[in-house]
Amino acid sequence: MPEIHVIDHDGSKTTLDAPNDIAIMETLRDGGTSVMGTCGGICSCGTCHVYFNAADLAKLPEKTDDEDMMLEALGDLVELKEGSRLACQIPMTDELAGISIEIAPEA
Amino acid sequence: MNDINRQLIEANNRLERCPFPIPSGWFFVDFSENLEKGQIRNIEILGQEWVLWRGAESGNVGMNDPFCPHLGAHLGHGGTIQGDNIRCTFHHWQYDKEGWCKDVPYGKIMPPICKKQPILRTLPTEEKFGMIWCWYHPQGADPEFPLPTIPEFEEEGYVEPKRLNWDVNTAVQELAENGVDFAHLKFLHGQPEIPSYEYKFEGPYYDVNMDNGKIIGKQVGPGIAIYKFVHEGVEATMLSYSVPLTAETTKMNMSFTHKAYDPNTKEGMIAQHLVNHMIGEADGEESAGFESVDFIVWNNKKYRPNPLLCDGDGPIVEYRKWFQQFYPGFDRLDEI
Repeated sequence: MPEIHVIDHDGSKTTLDAPNDIAIMETLRDGGTSVMGTCGGICSCGTCHVYFNAADLAKLPEKTDDEDMMLEALGDLVELKEGSRLACQIPMTDELAGISIEIAPEA
Repeated sequence: MNDINRQLIEANNRLERCPFPIPSGWFFVDFSENLEKGQIRNIEILGQEWVLWRGAESGNVGMNDPFCPHLGAHLGHGGTIQGDNIRCTFHHWQYDKEGWCKDVPYGKIMPPICKKQPILRTLPTEEKFGMIWCWYHPQGADPEFPLPTIPEFEEEGYVEPKRLNWDVNTAVQELAENGVDFAHLKFLHGQPEIPSYEYKFEGPYYDVNMDNGKIIGKQVGPGIAIYKFVHEGVEATMLSYSVPLTAETTKMNMSFTHKAYDPNTKEGMIAQHLVNHMIGEADGEESAGFESVDFIVWNNKKYRPNPLLCDGDGPIVEYRKWFQQFYPGFDRLDEI
């Protein structure tokens, strides 16, 4: 199974098995990280905000309007980076195997 | 006997009483005086439950689906009015009369969809003639025609309207069909003759002139009709505002008024008589108002989509075709 490397906002590092086609938010939520995923994946809570490395962005699906609006709203409360995404909008793929993800601070 | 049209004879078992959805249009909700600022009430009309409320500041009327978009609590049970919003009792989310979420008191970030669109289904409302009206459309389209202007119910100089209402076990289309059924006025109501008539269907309106101006009627969508009765130059006006309770039951409402004549004058007596005549209470009358005779038909009939009409019948077919405009999105139009 593909893996992802995770840095939580307290600096702790972990590696999680990430099944393909499952939203990365679920892997992070179920893997004991600080990601809550409260809304279940409909871009309404903003609790799965993560930073991808710029080099990996091309491997990710395009942002929807809803994700854009949530990220914009998050920007008033936490730092946005070039790699800011909502992990609920990113299904795991083979191409993403082995990437590193940093969990953004809580809003 | 083998050559007869058994389709016609055996239609009985296939007929339905009300094979129609709830029509789109303006519908009466309640009298304005029955809803105070800051008040919330649960009502059942148009085939479902609604929460009806009046803003504490503006006095504007809201009418919405009962269940909170957040976690489904019933806004009309424990909800309160805060300013011009309705607030759910469960987590205090607030909504305005257009259904926009106005407050999520504990979330740091309002869900983005709340900024894009209303999240609670509401109906547009207006107040006119001392009544609250809602615009119903199954797909939520904006009002497609305005409420009418009726000087008798908006201006000074007319008597306080006499209000009546009845429960009828049929759909509004069936009730209003009597407005084009001129022959029944002689046979069911016992008028001396079938009245002469001119009529016009145009957009959401049906206009009729019976007996050269003795009765002038206008139907405005499925939920409003105005009829003026004229006798010796004296006019009395009926406002009819039926509202579907379900697809098969209707609350039939009517208000009657006329100029504020001195009741002891000839004009005053004629006006009073005209009103009594309309509702079937007139003494010494040869014909009966609808109250005494129409209900037995409405409450028991079935709808024949292919009626067997004769040359003396009114424009029933034209009326039914006109009425179809009030069933947007209905996929059985060819069956009615």
